[in-house]
Amino acid sequence: MKPITVTLTVNGQTRTITTLPNKTLLYALREDLGLTGVKDACGGEGECGACTVILDGEAVNACLVLIGQADGRSVETIEGLAQDGELHPLQCAFVETGAVQCGFCTPGAILAAKALLDRDPSPTDDAIREALSGNLCRCTGYSKMIAAVRRAAEEMSHAR
Amino acid sequence: MQEFDFYAANTLDELLRLLAQSGGRVIAGGTDVLVQAQRGVFPASVLVDASRVRELRFIGQDGETIRIGALTTYADILASPLLRETAPALVMAAATVGAPQTRARGTLGGNIANASPAGDTLPPLLTLDATVRLVKRGGERVLPLAEVLCGPRQTCLEPGEIIHSVAFRRPSQPTGAAFLKLGNRQGMAIAVVNVAVSLPLDDDGRIAGARVALGAVAPTPVRSPRAEAVLYGQSLNDDVLERAAQAVLYDIAPITDVRGSADYRRKAAVRLTARALRLAAQQIREGAQA
Repeated sequence: MKPITVTLTVNGQTRTITTLPNKTLLYALREDLGLTGVKDACGGEGECGACTVILDGEAVNACLVLIGQADGRSVETIEGLAQDGELHPLQCAFVETGAVQCGFCTPGAILAAKALLDRDPSPTDDAIREALSGNLCRCTGYSKMIAAVRRAAEEMSHAR
Repeated sequence: MQEFDFYAANTLDELLRLLAQSGGRVIAGGTDVLVQAQRGVFPASVLVDASRVRELRFIGQDGETIRIGALTTYADILASPLLRETAPALVMAAATVGAPQTRARGTLGGNIANASPAGDTLPPLLTLDATVRLVKRGGERVLPLAEVLCGPRQTCLEPGEIIHSVAFRRPSQPTGAAFLKLGNRQGMAIAVVNVAVSLPLDDDGRIAGARVALGAVAPTPVRSPRAEAVLYGQSLNDDVLERAAQAVLYDIAPITDVRGSADYRRKAAVRLTARALRLAAQQIREGAQA
């Protein structure tokens, strides 16, 4: 395999990496850039949503994007959400409503929810369910996550 | 993950040249290719990335013909007012694919190229009599979708050839159309059975040329000529719709797999077809009142 060099924007910073072409965005973020908030739960089959990141404004499974396909693109991970040490309203709401237990699915679920709120600041419960439908959780369950997204949307509308 | 070399194309010309030179295969949204590569079973040692080729991502009309570029994502299909008007069953199908993460990346061309018997957009495209434009360096051909799909995960594409776009004619008569899918859950489900129907009505309110197509019940998605024949020339009534639904049994050959048994699929195919036909009939009645 011929290595490839890729330049992408990650959480607002330009990063250049040289890696083998059969690496996915998921493992490039984890291994080459040390961003381990992005998780692999299903073995890279796009089933679980734990590796959800925001790629050019859309929630995607990072395990189904080759690193070469991310060249020149902009990626947002969970590490980029807090600003100046302040958690993002979605992160606060997940903590406050108890939408986190083991935490493994949490970064992906929060990013799926953020992609929704970026597009639709006051979503219906059905829209929240739809946005989270690709994110599997095996311990907390989904009701508290839906409540958390609703609460974050309210917080953010007050802040505006 | 299996090993491969990787090239990225920025234009259609470059894509065709890279494919011809490398003997590689296309990756676009990656939602099927990478799952197979992860398992080490994708039959290619070179991948050529088409995802930046803007020329292949479009939804447009040209007279009475609607064209959809191969790189159009499921999310693009869902957001298209033109397709909601002219191909509602295709839009309903796109809405059931995977989850938002899948729909943002997966493409219509990929759904055809992957040639899964359960591919959700394929029955709606069959009911639209869609044709597929295939291009390679120095040539192109246009084939009916059914001729592109030649077996489970097999297409008639030649080395170096790509899916450029699909085309279908805007319905000329008032038409009811629907897509339904039976999966094991709502999100991320692969169809146990899926079905698309279209019911065009002539000026006398009789069914002109119905289309009924089913997936996950044969080696490729298939039309049901027997169900279509039952509907032909009839008025819309529940008895006719029910007899048509029963007739799909003559045209399907389901197998037993992890998602369902052959017997379950036969029963589900009949009931799902009956529901889809009633939904399409209801749409056309509501359309007539509007």
